Amino acid sequence: MLFPTATFAIFFMLVLPLSWLLQPRGERWRPFIIAASFVFYGAWDWRFCFLLAFSIVWNHLLAVGIHRSGAPRHRKVLLVTALVGNLGLLGYFKYYDFFVTSTHNLFALVGVDVPLETRSIVLPVGISFFTFMGIAYVVDVYRRDFVPVGLGTFAAYLSFFPHLVAGPIVRPGELIPQLSTPRDPRYVDTSRAFFLIGTGLFMKVVIANHLATHIVDEVFGAPNQHSSLEVLVGIYAYAVQIYSDFFGYTNIAIGIALLLGFAFPQNFDAPYSATSITDFWRRWHMTLSRWLRDYLYIPLGGNRKGTLVTYRNLMLTMLIGGLWHGAGWTFVVWGGIHGTALVTERWWRGRPGFVERPWTTGRRAWHRFVTFQVVCFAWIFFRADSFDDAWSIIHRLFTAWGESSPLVTVGVLAAIAVGIGSQYLPRRLPLALMARFSRLPVPAQATVLAVGLLVIHAMGPEGVAPFIYFRF
Amino acid sequence: MEPANHEPRRRRPRQRTGEGGRRLHSAGSAIVVSLVGLALGVLLNAPGLHKSATIQPQGWKRNVALGVTGPLASVSDTLLLDRPRRALKAALGRSHDDDVDTAVATTSKPPPTRAPAGPPKRTKFTPQHKLGLYIAGDSLVIVPGESLLRATAGNRAIAPDPIDGRIATGLERPDVYNWFTRIEQVMRKDKPRAVVLMFGGNDDHNFMTGVPEGREVGTFGSPSWRAEYRRRVATVMDTITRSGGYLVWIGLPISRDSEQTLRFDVMNSIAQTEAAKRPGRVAYLDTYFFFAGDNGGYTQYVEDPTGKLVKMRADDGIHFERPAGDLIAAKVLDKLEERYDLTSWRKRR
Repeated sequence: MLFPTATFAIFFMLVLPLSWLLQPRGERWRPFIIAASFVFYGAWDWRFCFLLAFSIVWNHLLAVGIHRSGAPRHRKVLLVTALVGNLGLLGYFKYYDFFVTSTHNLFALVGVDVPLETRSIVLPVGISFFTFMGIAYVVDVYRRDFVPVGLGTFAAYLSFFPHLVAGPIVRPGELIPQLSTPRDPRYVDTSRAFFLIGTGLFMKVVIANHLATHIVDEVFGAPNQHSSLEVLVGIYAYAVQIYSDFFGYTNIAIGIALLLGFAFPQNFDAPYSATSITDFWRRWHMTLSRWLRDYLYIPLGGNRKGTLVTYRNLMLTMLIGGLWHGAGWTFVVWGGIHGTALVTERWWRGRPGFVERPWTTGRRAWHRFVTFQVVCFAWIFFRADSFDDAWSIIHRLFTAWGESSPLVTVGVLAAIAVGIGSQYLPRRLPLALMARFSRLPVPAQATVLAVGLLVIHAMGPEGVAPFIYFRF
Repeated sequence: MEPANHEPRRRRPRQRTGEGGRRLHSAGSAIVVSLVGLALGVLLNAPGLHKSATIQPQGWKRNVALGVTGPLASVSDTLLLDRPRRALKAALGRSHDDDVDTAVATTSKPPPTRAPAGPPKRTKFTPQHKLGLYIAGDSLVIVPGESLLRATAGNRAIAPDPIDGRIATGLERPDVYNWFTRIEQVMRKDKPRAVVLMFGGNDDHNFMTGVPEGREVGTFGSPSWRAEYRRRVATVMDTITRSGGYLVWIGLPISRDSEQTLRFDVMNSIAQTEAAKRPGRVAYLDTYFFFAGDNGGYTQYVEDPTGKLVKMRADDGIHFERPAGDLIAAKVLDKLEERYDLTSWRKRR
């Protein structure tokens, strides 16, 4: 069930009032929201509901076991069991065929035939997200940062439909306390919720879809048919497409949760205005960055074990983060480029005698420009189907200047300008718009929403392409 | 165990404002604004929603959607609420987006089926006299089409159009997308001499639109269904060949779902026999065994000549991965080379 569809609108219009009616009675609300979330998830493939149910029961039992156990060794065994179960599930569904083909092809280089068979496994939507949330829960319980909750509350946490298929990755400490306490129906941040849903729909349905169909798919599908200018604009367009797509999804998810009375963490903070790659990762997919920092980078030792180990940890975190996005070596290279950039920045700032100069307008603009180019270069590997395709894009970028560029249209440039320009808007502007909207009478608010729906629906293409992050 | 995680109970602040001074509202207000806004939005977008309902797959969901959006479209029209959408669409240059076109151009008699006396004359194309190439079809054509574009990029005698691949379309449902009109327009306007088509991936259903009045079409694969589908395939082929185009029709591949493969066989046999009636003008490319495993059944991965395991088919069990597209593109180019001389211009230089 995709957010920008009539099916979801009907589903949500049923869930919203029922959820508020049942909110005062947690023992009734929790089964209701779990059932609604399973209906939402089962709309893709009902068989995967069993997988989600297994993940809930597995993580709950092991978290309770860890909490009750006093012996450190026993606790550790249970933690490792939980991690093996979670990562085993993810590994089987997402990486099994990748592992088999990589192993087979590696040995084929030396003429050895490895008798491993691929299994053509279908990737369950959202598995990467709910697996990471399950791991976060168990690890937090192990660290004694969190006391396990009842099965019903945990099931509501893991399966809560606004975040279920593509995040944001919400920490147990952020959502479970909200799920345990009835939401106050008197104070709902409706203007922010509608603003987020409206902007999310616009970014996904209008901007991302326009760029995908008018330049990105064509350029990345057959780069050698396009001019250097088209390839360059196509790369920038992909940067805006993936941002608009994922930012749009996240905004809708956060807005929907807000209407139900729940606050999710922010997932984006104008990432293309970042002045360094380090800064970029504080602004892009922030909930994944946090997860990787807290459950991977820090357990690896973080920056506490010397310079070289810090570099290694940064690199490993980004390589694994790349692989999390997809079972392919191009994703690993994407992570590697970001890891290399992070290590380079850390080395640069850690040089003896390095002094951070104050920001000037020109210096800030230059840093933003360079950071954006590095991010876009990495996106080439993220989007390309293979290394051959990625090299073809890079080669074409330098070898076909002067050829005609019919794909570089006013519409494409305008969509890119909107996608990037929106990240440089003063923060007070959306706040002022939301405040003004919140003071409108109810009929006027409804009219504004309806006009927004008219514009988005009329400007969007027929049908809605799935969100890019659903495949991760 | 739970109390440890409960939010501490606090007295609610009296102020009902959030960040930036925005006013917080009650849940009831949220529900009313959502419902009224959505209802009004539905009325404003009624023509588009009615079209979306019309082009859905056959079944109860479509019936319900039509039952709801039909009256809504009438109300919207009566109250003039559909005018802003029409004006916006016109301003965007997409006035016909909400139209439903089910016309299937009727063919008169099929063209003569006599076989040519000898092999067709190979027409020569050069960078000065380029071969126009049009690639179209449902979503299955996109990956082979991209491979074909990449494969022809170095040949300046070929001038391909962008791929005209449209998801969830086919020859069964002109209301979803009218390929008959589209192909006729392309052949009239652009006059491509080479056309590559792939259809059928979404056509394995009972329901057809655009059926001539008085004609009944039975269930998928029935004689009446075959006759109507054959008419449509023939219409497309004749539209192209009568405009002087040479058509390569890519057959449907084996699918992970064996029942779907059997359904694909029905459409493949129709396309194949219709192509055989038009020798020298239509070539049928059988892709079935390109992607069959050692046991003749479906396989997602195939070993290439170097022993490397290559992913040929997407995870959905139907669509192609890039290596599969490259394989099909190479075979399509072979077919085009049989009909056209696309390379001798290089030798003169």
